[in-house]
Amino acid sequence: MNNENTGWKLAAAFVITFIFISPIIWMVLAAFKTINDIYAIPPVWVPDFSYLENFKLLLSENWQFLLNSTIVTLCATLLCLIFALPAAFALVYFQFRRQDFLADWILSTRMMPPIAAAVPLYMVFNGMGMLDTLPTLVLVYAGFNLPFAVWVAMSFFRNIPKEIIEAARVEGCTWVQTFRLVALPLAKSGIATVSTFVFIFAWNELLLSLFLTTREAKTFPVVISSFSTVTKTYWELISAATIIQILPPVIFTILMQKHIVSGLTMGAVKN
Amino acid sequence: MGEITLNRIYKDFGDVSVLKDINLDIDDGEFVVFVGPSGCGKSTLLRMITGLETVTSGQVLIDSEDVTESKPSSRGLAMVFQSYALFPHLTVRENVGFGLRIAGLPAEEIAQKVGHASSILGLDPLLDRKPRELSGGQQQRVAIGRAIVREPAAFLFDEPLSNLDAALRVQMRIELVRLHERLKTTMVYVTHDQVEAMTMANRIVVLEGGDVQQFATPIELYDRPVNKFVAGFIGSPKMNFLKSVPTADHAIMIKNGPQLSIPTVDQTKLTEELTVGIRPEHITYSHDKGDLKGEIIVEEQLGSDAFLYVEVENIGMITVRAVGERNFHNRDTVYLSFPPERCHVFDASDQRISTK
Repeated sequence: MNNENTGWKLAAAFVITFIFISPIIWMVLAAFKTINDIYAIPPVWVPDFSYLENFKLLLSENWQFLLNSTIVTLCATLLCLIFALPAAFALVYFQFRRQDFLADWILSTRMMPPIAAAVPLYMVFNGMGMLDTLPTLVLVYAGFNLPFAVWVAMSFFRNIPKEIIEAARVEGCTWVQTFRLVALPLAKSGIATVSTFVFIFAWNELLLSLFLTTREAKTFPVVISSFSTVTKTYWELISAATIIQILPPVIFTILMQKHIVSGLTMGAVKN
Repeated sequence: MGEITLNRIYKDFGDVSVLKDINLDIDDGEFVVFVGPSGCGKSTLLRMITGLETVTSGQVLIDSEDVTESKPSSRGLAMVFQSYALFPHLTVRENVGFGLRIAGLPAEEIAQKVGHASSILGLDPLLDRKPRELSGGQQQRVAIGRAIVREPAAFLFDEPLSNLDAALRVQMRIELVRLHERLKTTMVYVTHDQVEAMTMANRIVVLEGGDVQQFATPIELYDRPVNKFVAGFIGSPKMNFLKSVPTADHAIMIKNGPQLSIPTVDQTKLTEELTVGIRPEHITYSHDKGDLKGEIIVEEQLGSDAFLYVEVENIGMITVRAVGERNFHNRDTVYLSFPPERCHVFDASDQRISTK
């Protein structure tokens, strides 16, 4: 590749990145402005970054919803992994009739759009008196992500060379020991991948939370959506809230990224 | 103890029959090699002994105990895989001690046994490394170490040397034989390499098409192969096979060739069509006299041996192994003779009928 080409590619990369990042930049700037500054003409390009009233107001009134979001997301991710990993392991390594059918059937449950499930879920949880509670959201988010999590985890288990699992079995491992001592450590990157996806889904989910919560179990995305009302849109609060909203997934993904490395099983078997 | 008995074993994969009526008695402390071409079912047979593969019908007995339905973990066997199958997330020390840890042995005992195994195999300087930091030969030793610490009833090897380079393969072959002499534990070893089979085994099982062709000592296989397949499979270069017919006076005549009076043929079993087999190293050759005249098409000179590929008119190509020979070259005319006592005779259904 010659230098001229590199220059063009860099320029293109900058332009594309700018297009994607500009709303975020606008939002970050707006979070430090008053509502008048946001609408000001000529625009206030660089706000006073020591102006934190938007964040203060937001957090003082809504911290418990941020806490709800955190609890629901972490619990849903954990619950999803607890069910998905053993299920995927069994689907890959156990031999039973109609194995493939079962795996396809699990995936098929993900094919319906969440909105189709929203009303039935509302009715079920209403009947059980579980509306507007955190466990309801944990269950729903974990459940919604299970098929996807099972399939991704299956592909990671499949990548473990078959002989390694067989070696563990010959060495005296039960299936549970094989899963715990051999398969899980080798599927680390799969666990990181699955948990990142479930985490992001649960953290950003709005629709089902709107349906299933009213006050107590409300999550942060619902709060953000409430800043846009019929009469007025509170851009300064939306901006501040969105920054808070996007930080955890970004941090979580960066933390997980170093585990999402290929070649973890290198040197185990010679092909 | 490690006596392994296979009793009327059948294995089908769907509609495909892979193994048919396999009966074997492997004695305690014996080194048995399963050998055969690709797809003959030798690995499947080994995996059925370990329990990694189910048996369609028949019984697997270890020390007279029926383990056909037992899990691999409860059979007390150790296996070394072709790909080594080391646990990549564990160090050499943890890999070798893995089975002992699963068995719930106290830490000091594990450390002591791992230490013992690693000193036998020369793994001491590598104990804290991960498998990916080892060479192929070292990984192979770790896999063997993992097998021997558990003091299993028998060791099972599934083509363990085929991923190593030629020099290392010879070295590991010798080490394995020495290990067997030292441990005196039953070893069952699968390979497609007849040299490995001949050099390592106490007894060899030759498998082909899902059947045991012959189960005998290496020398027995070489000297008295029961059929044409075994005769052709054991020995390198391959045995020469020549179409023949019986003559009126109880001799055998090679088609378009000389008449041989082979003393050991069972006259009652002669058929219309016969095959005479003779190994390349048993053919005598000369510049000026012999039973058959031919021309050397290719001379493969190894220094220690010369393989002469001789084209004989109306008969075809005959391979001659000339030990230390340097005076025969391409395009030379050569005369060949077949010492009758070295000839094997096979009937129309390829069974051996010479009885020496």
